[in-house]
Amino acid sequence: MTVASALAGQGGRATRLLYRLRIAMREPTTLIGVVMALLFAYLIIVPIVSILLDAVQTQFGDERRTATEVGGWTGYYLHRTFASPIARDMFWEPLWNTLSVAFSTIAISIVLGGSLAWLVSRTDMFGRRWFATALIVPYMLPAWTFALAWTTLFKNRTVGGQQGWLESLGVSPPDWLAYGRVPITIILALHYTPFIILLFGSALRRFDSQLEDSARILGAGRGRIALSIILPLMKPALISAVVLIFAKCLGEFGVAYVLGLPVKFDVLATSLYRNIGSRQTGVAGVLAGAIMLLGILTLLVDAYLVREARRYVTVGSKGSMNRQSRLGPWRLAATGYAGIFFLVAVGLPLLTLFLSTVMRVPARFTWENFTLDFWIGRNLDTVALRQGILLTPDFWAAAWNTLWIVGSASVVSGLLGLLVGYTVVRTPFRPLGSFLRQVTFFPYLVPGIAFAAAYLSLFAVARGPVPALYGTMWILILALIADQMPYASRAGLSAMMQLGKEPEEAAQVAGSGWFHRMTRIVIPIQKSSLVTGVLLPFISGIKGLSLFVILAVPSTDVLTTYSLRLVDYHYTQAANAVVLMVAGLAYFGTVAAQKLTKTNLAEGLGG
Amino acid sequence: MPGITLRDVQKSYGGYTAVTGLDLEVRDGEFLCLLGPSGCGKTTTLRMIAGLENLTGGSLAVGDRVVDCPDRATFVAPEKRGMGLVFQSYALWPHLTIEDNVGFGLKLRKVGRAERKKRTQEVMEALGIAKYAGRYPSQLSGGQQQRVALARMLAVNPSVLLLDEPLSNLDARLRLEMRAELKRIHESFKTTIVFVTHDQWEAMTLADTIAVMNEGTLQQLGTPDDIYERPANRFVAEFVGSPPINILEFGMEDELVQGARRYLGQRHPQISGAGSIGIRPESIRIETDKAALREADFSAPAKVSGILPTGGSWIVELETGGRAMFMNTHVAPRVSVGDRLWLQVPARALNVFDARGVRVAAADEVLSHAAA
Repeated sequence: MTVASALAGQGGRATRLLYRLRIAMREPTTLIGVVMALLFAYLIIVPIVSILLDAVQTQFGDERRTATEVGGWTGYYLHRTFASPIARDMFWEPLWNTLSVAFSTIAISIVLGGSLAWLVSRTDMFGRRWFATALIVPYMLPAWTFALAWTTLFKNRTVGGQQGWLESLGVSPPDWLAYGRVPITIILALHYTPFIILLFGSALRRFDSQLEDSARILGAGRGRIALSIILPLMKPALISAVVLIFAKCLGEFGVAYVLGLPVKFDVLATSLYRNIGSRQTGVAGVLAGAIMLLGILTLLVDAYLVREARRYVTVGSKGSMNRQSRLGPWRLAATGYAGIFFLVAVGLPLLTLFLSTVMRVPARFTWENFTLDFWIGRNLDTVALRQGILLTPDFWAAAWNTLWIVGSASVVSGLLGLLVGYTVVRTPFRPLGSFLRQVTFFPYLVPGIAFAAAYLSLFAVARGPVPALYGTMWILILALIADQMPYASRAGLSAMMQLGKEPEEAAQVAGSGWFHRMTRIVIPIQKSSLVTGVLLPFISGIKGLSLFVILAVPSTDVLTTYSLRLVDYHYTQAANAVVLMVAGLAYFGTVAAQKLTKTNLAEGLGG
Repeated sequence: MPGITLRDVQKSYGGYTAVTGLDLEVRDGEFLCLLGPSGCGKTTTLRMIAGLENLTGGSLAVGDRVVDCPDRATFVAPEKRGMGLVFQSYALWPHLTIEDNVGFGLKLRKVGRAERKKRTQEVMEALGIAKYAGRYPSQLSGGQQQRVALARMLAVNPSVLLLDEPLSNLDARLRLEMRAELKRIHESFKTTIVFVTHDQWEAMTLADTIAVMNEGTLQQLGTPDDIYERPANRFVAEFVGSPPINILEFGMEDELVQGARRYLGQRHPQISGAGSIGIRPESIRIETDKAALREADFSAPAKVSGILPTGGSWIVELETGGRAMFMNTHVAPRVSVGDRLWLQVPARALNVFDARGVRVAAADEVLSHAAA
């Protein structure tokens, strides 16, 4: 106050500045915002800068090749990745594979998902309600669950370990069917079809039927309406579904790893993983940069296309009723089609996985072949892992790690998300708000595996006061928090936007200070969205693989990386059992969260 | 009860100026309406008084205490101003019962439990919501929620009550009831009230004083009668009144306009410059017989081009001098579309504006003599 009174009545610049400072700092919001901005800069921007620097700076051990000191600028890695004799194996092949898999996946899921979405939301097919939920299930399960089921069925002599079912029945599946492009594409397509069903279906449901009616009154037939009214207006929903699937395929690791490795079928994500595994830090930096660039480009294209498409409004008020087409004689066939999709995408893989964990010899359906040994047996006749999975300490360690790492990261990111939302909506200092919004969204553009590589690059060694975090849980927790921030901050932001500022302002005018308002008004009102904001990342974190696979070491294994290790050691039954449990956790977690919040969470499942 | 003083208040967001050069005094115990179209800065002004927005320039005082003044680096937080604010959306806290909503401010002021209960009960009874005490806001209708929002503010007996379009979400009948309620509250609590609305009838019926705003500036400050009968400029004239005032440009080749112009020019040479006149629809009379016209009135031949019954009153569309004029009457017009007749306007009913649209006071002087 003394400074203020010294300047009182002056009206000079200093006074004005003091006034603005006083306004900005009147409430802790800005201060909290600044602290968060610094935190996110460190957790998100610095790792990415670090890995991009790796790509153009000489790494330890490469001095002779690049002819510069460690840390000197070099174009060696760029050349090696894009133009050297091994560039083809390292970058161009994987790029082609990634793109071709992604586009075939998109094509198949559009056909499957589009037709199923229409059946579920606009026809009188039998069991629509049930299917509306059941068809989404593949998306709730980790994609590589299906990859393991596939190998359980189709694995051939190319790889060692337990045989696949077909092989043990005397049919040897060819390599192209057992591994590589075909199964990867099929599995990803099945996994992402629900995505189309969700986005496309909800657009179809909200479609203003007055638009259709107008066309009908003008004399347009059904086909005509579908072709020239509905489809064009569905474009925005379709575009965003396609772009999201593409972005997810870019970072897809688990499926390609399980099914591509035996035939050396690499995508960008597995190529990055290999390079990290063989300590090619510089090349890994280039690859991670390339993946990020593709991710960013994709979302820019999306932003552009969606902006183009937003010019029309398809959601009506009273016209948005759910009008159904009568299928007539096709009713049964349609139901069968949806049923088959469910069987192939959910029933068959889960059943296969489950059976594989209770049978000694694959595909022999005799009574004495069934056993619970792989779950709870002791003193088994194997080289290692001589007890059932539920009796293995490593499994419980991984389960505990999962709970701890994913749980704490989810709680922290949920809270941070709400705080980001609060700050963005409330701070009088706008640039801070928009910085926070953008920086927390950024990991969305970076596929998990590239993000993990960035973390590895930054935290593998001690830097300044920060010790080397690789090998500890902290690197996983921090990476997961940063990786979940896009969803958490969006959730927090939309919750705060929905709340509006009036309830808080009403309390403020009534005499309530900042802390009182936070604890009595804001958090109590946002309780359910906070629960959702913690649960959703938790579920997607449990089944996440690509982020952990690079950062976890055996002592910090989570369930997903542990099962992948089991796959590597060819402990098929154990791996399948763990994956089944992960799938169960993910599924029941989602269902429980839906019940708890009385919402359809499947739509919010971004991870 | 303190008054509120705004001196040269400015508010801008980046490049956009919401309020500029606003001087306004709200007297102690006064019911003041801020009236204007959306985006005129009236809500911003209210929020600045509440402290939810800070000033860009000027000063704001409540009583003799300056609460916001950038030039003196003074800012008193909204929670320390002791005001009450009712939002357009009511902003009830969805997680608290009606009783807790109403008692919130008392609890904050550390009023004892028994006293709080008593006071809450009183206010809820006064507003007829006592029977909903245990319910949650989402279980009440719009009108009931509105009363809760009012009760919540009245419970702490604020020195100043700010209302931001609190009635705009209610249906017509309820709105009428709540207007009466508000007026009663004002009389019994003697609170200084600042009321924001874009509804002129609401402003007319409720306010002691109306401040008409447009594009961030104060257009006129006056009693409802002043605003309606002596609008300070064309904006106020055109904004207030329904059907809207008829504006005739001085340049028009119209008998009525030319007659008025000649009359004014003879008596006051300054007025003859370019400008316009405004005529309220209800001050127009029609005569089928030229002989029945009053000598002192201005008149012109016209043709009936439309009759719109509005239930209890009629709007008659007249064509004169090549433009349309609207007349409003509570007596059923005995004319039909296509009739040719005479319209007449008493001199006192003319509003004369100069080329910039500002009311010409000298013309009022001249015309009031004409009437006498």
